[in-house]
This record gives sequence, structure tokens and C-alpha cells, in this order.
Amino acid sequence: MKNIKHILIVVFFCNLFLSCNSLKTAAYDQYSFQKSIEIKIDASNLIDKGTTSYTDHLKDIGDLGLEIQKIIEYEKNKPNNEVTYAMWQVLANKDKNLLVGFFRRWKDKKQLKPFFIKEAKKQIMDVMDLLIQYESKKDKETKEKLLKLITNN
Amino acid sequence: MYIMDFEVLLKEIKASLITLFGEKWGDLEGESEKDIEQFLKDSEEKLKRWTMLLVNKDIDLEDYEWLVKSQKDFMIMQALHSAGVHKISLGHFKNKIVGAIVNIVKVVIL
Repeated sequence: MKNIKHILIVVFFCNLFLSCNSLKTAAYDQYSFQKSIEIKIDASNLIDKGTTSYTDHLKDIGDLGLEIQKIIEYEKNKPNNEVTYAMWQVLANKDKNLLVGFFRRWKDKKQLKPFFIKEAKKQIMDVMDLLIQYESKKDKETKEKLLKLITNN
Repeated sequence: MYIMDFEVLLKEIKASLITLFGEKWGDLEGESEKDIEQFLKDSEEKLKRWTMLLVNKDIDLEDYEWLVKSQKDFMIMQALHSAGVHKISLGHFKNKIVGAIVNIVKVVIL
């Protein structure tokens, strides 16, 4: 009887820990990782063109904007993924002075100064690295366990 | 000469910000001072570089303002990253606790 009581207490605490949603983080996602790198490289190439006229790059800027919208929608709908989603929201906010904010400034000024581009680019690339590093730190075990489960059955 | 000028400038910025925060949010003055100090400490190298570019007219005042604001947004991203990494560590810790409990139960009770 005493043993059953102990087991019930242990099961209760295990359930409590396992159901603690605030500690859950989405598992590592290869698509998110790869897509973030692609966006970073595309953004880097476009930012370098900031000394030329904004209107000459409307298509490329539009394409990049579309890719950013897609990844945001993807990240938004993944469970327990609030941090990555929040990071993308900051990057995509035209009122913040990072990724999309840079393109807004380019649009407003039509052309940008080389020194400004160099400094702004460093800021943007560094925060994109934070995003990429965060994805790579996410738990790979969950995915591996899932794959093991699928292949074993 | 330039570095000396920048140190004076940095002190003036800090004093102005603390006064500004003190006037607006008197109760938060102590905390705000810490936040301002942290912001300036983390941003010092960049602020120095950007101020030099402004002095040399390589960038204009609007560019300078944009970059300083980008540093604030940069720190928001750093805070999010730290919070996320911390959460992952806590998740691992939680899993270890559950594993340890189950192992103890297996040995002692079953």
C-alpha cells in the first residue's frame, strides 16, 4: 500500500514535469535552419547593392520579402516556437532598425552611403547569426527519437 | 584626442539619459541606471565607431540615429536568444529529473 502511494506520487511529479508547457521548445528543424541561412545570404547580397538605386532592385527585394513572409508563417504555426517566431517578427518589423527596417530606409533614401551600409549590414548579419545559432541549439534528440520510433514500427 | 572626447561624450549621454529617466519614471531610476549602463557598456565600441564616422561625415545624423536604434533592437534579439537558450537548458534539466526519478523507482520499488 505504501509502495503504491510512492509510485502515485512519482507518477504525479513526472506528469507535472512532462506537461510543463512553458519549458517545451520546438525540436531542431532542418528546414528552418536552411531557410534562415538562405535568407541571410540573399539579404547580404542585396544589402551590398544599397549604394545603387532602390528601384533597380524591386524584384529581388520583393522576392526576399516573400521568403521572409513564408518563414514567419511557418514558424508561427510550429508549437512551442515562441522565441524563434518573436525573433523573426523583430527582423521583419519595418519600424525596427534591422532586416526589413534596412530595406525601408533604402526605399526612403533611394540610395545609401557605403559606410552606413557596412555598419548596418554588420548589425543585421549578427542578429541573423543569433537566429541561426538558436535553431542549431534546439533539441535534436526529439527528432532522432521520433525517427527511431517510425523506423522500428 | 578623439578617444578623450568620446569618453566625455559617453559620460554626457549617460548623465542625460539618467536625468531623463529620473524625471519621467522616478521610481525606476535605480533600475534604469543599471539598464542604461549595460546598454552603453555593450554598445561602447560601436558607438565610438559610429561617432567617428559621423565626425568624419562618412555618415549623416539620420544614419547615426538609425544605427543607434538598431543597437537597441540588436539587444532585444540578444535577450530573446538568451531566453530561448535558457529555456532549452531548463527543458534538458527537466528531462534529466524525470529520467532520474524513473531510474530510482525502477531500482527501489520494482
